[in-house]
Amino acid sequence: MIKENNIKLIFLSLSLFLIILIFFFPFFWIITSSFKSPEEIIATSTTIIPRSFTLEHYNKILFNSDFFIYLKNSLIVSFSSMIISIILSVSAAYGLHKLKFYGNKFVEYSLLVTYAFPGVILLVPIYLLFAKVNLLNSYFALIVVNVLFATPFAVWMLKAFFKLIPNEIEEAAYIDGASRYIVISRIVVPLAAPGIASVAIFCFIISWTEYLFASILISGDDLKTLPVGLAGIVGQYQIDWGFLLSGAVLASLPVILLFVFIGKYFVSGLTEGAVK
Amino acid sequence: MISVKKNNIEGWLFVSPLVIWISLIILVPIYIAFELSLFNVKIIGTSGKFVGIDNYIKLFGKSKFLNASLNSFYWIIGNAICQTFFAFTIALTINYKFPGKKIMANWIILSFIIPTVVVVVIWKLMLSSSSGVINSVLIDIGLLDEATGFFSSPNKAFISLVLINSWRWSPFLALIILSGLNSINREMYDASKVDGANFVQQFLFITFPNLKSVLFVLGLVGTLLSFNIFDIIWLITKGGPSSATTTLPLLIYETAFTKFRISQAATLSIVTSLLLLLFSIIFIKSMAPKEDD
Repeated sequence: MIKENNIKLIFLSLSLFLIILIFFFPFFWIITSSFKSPEEIIATSTTIIPRSFTLEHYNKILFNSDFFIYLKNSLIVSFSSMIISIILSVSAAYGLHKLKFYGNKFVEYSLLVTYAFPGVILLVPIYLLFAKVNLLNSYFALIVVNVLFATPFAVWMLKAFFKLIPNEIEEAAYIDGASRYIVISRIVVPLAAPGIASVAIFCFIISWTEYLFASILISGDDLKTLPVGLAGIVGQYQIDWGFLLSGAVLASLPVILLFVFIGKYFVSGLTEGAVK
Repeated sequence: MISVKKNNIEGWLFVSPLVIWISLIILVPIYIAFELSLFNVKIIGTSGKFVGIDNYIKLFGKSKFLNASLNSFYWIIGNAICQTFFAFTIALTINYKFPGKKIMANWIILSFIIPTVVVVVIWKLMLSSSSGVINSVLIDIGLLDEATGFFSSPNKAFISLVLINSWRWSPFLALIILSGLNSINREMYDASKVDGANFVQQFLFITFPNLKSVLFVLGLVGTLLSFNIFDIIWLITKGGPSSATTTLPLLIYETAFTKFRISQAATLSIVTSLLLLLFSIIFIKSMAPKEDD
């Protein structure tokens, strides 16, 4: 018994060490590197503890690039996509969860399978469709696509959150004469608020990180999002690493900040029996 | 209380906004793609002549298509193995009590919430052959004699990309597995302990069977999501060296936007959708958990 516990302890410490090394060290590395001098970043002898400290890369990206234009575009697209996704998926998830209608299983599985169609398969036809209806080079083009990517999983998660709400509360409200609308807006949504918050983060993240469609559907510099702007630097023959790293850190900052405040709902939403 | 008939109408009212949105954005483009696949349009916006199913017949004889299909197959298998391993390791580790567990569980998902482009930047820097930290550490501990290019040979590039993609997705999958772990009744573990089961037996006979419905969703969605990966591969290797990392999504992109053969790209899209649809139907029919609700 004691021996087994020892083995467990060794396994646990070993895997903890590896998890930290593999999943957290890279972040330490790019953050510290973004403050290193250009020479130190590309030096052949790598230094775990930085030897130099400079703000020149951040200076360059903040005051001498299109960073704020890209940031504005990313914020507009991600917030709009998030709001539309939430409205559509709360409604759909409630319908699927509460109202056992004809074809509900079909809708449910189709939503899961919808993951099969997004991505590059739709790229060419969506490009052609948007070209036909004059939607290329607009925020709306990206929002339409992001909602498509975010909602199937959002519905799946939300359904699980709605299941946690005791049926009796809703029944009682109906007996008191409340309408469906009142029950949803006054009971279901407030009670599922942490769940809805975590699904909202999920939708925001999906939109914030989307690259493929943003790179094809938008060609004007004034409408590009952050990932597309960054990818432009990655693709250059001579990469300005300091510039790129500070850009990468800044592009991650908004989602990380969001996560600081509501991340725990997201994680507990995912882990406490939400996805079943 | 509420009649079945009313539920039908109301139910569809609730789901219809989303269903219409999704159907429009999927079905209309699929129709356009199908129409295009019967013509030979090259550059977007130009017109071509009707060629029937010629594009489809030609496609199956193309070595590029076969190569990309094989790469996609290896890509899905490689990612499934790596991600299952990483995700289970993370989930089982976080499931134990240790100091800092909460912070770890909250932040492990960092690699999933940052933009893919940032993932690319991180690993391009860390795996760089001239100044990458991984090369210099491997040389320092004697595993390598000289710096290696992790994306220079076909095999190395493919494996590096599988690992990078798994690095991005595993923590997210781990949290979903964790949700399954949390729903398992603790008493089953205590009872098995009394019967003398060790933790390997516990994993095989209690943990794993109880994760069925979670694993079903992961198996389906995970496979489709891995298949769809584009940006990580494109931004790091552009499909090279010598097409070793050109999966079907990259082939479609290349055909449409660098070779400007729109009809061929549309044909590829249609064939790929059918393959994925077929996979999904077989997977759901054979693996869907029966006892649901």
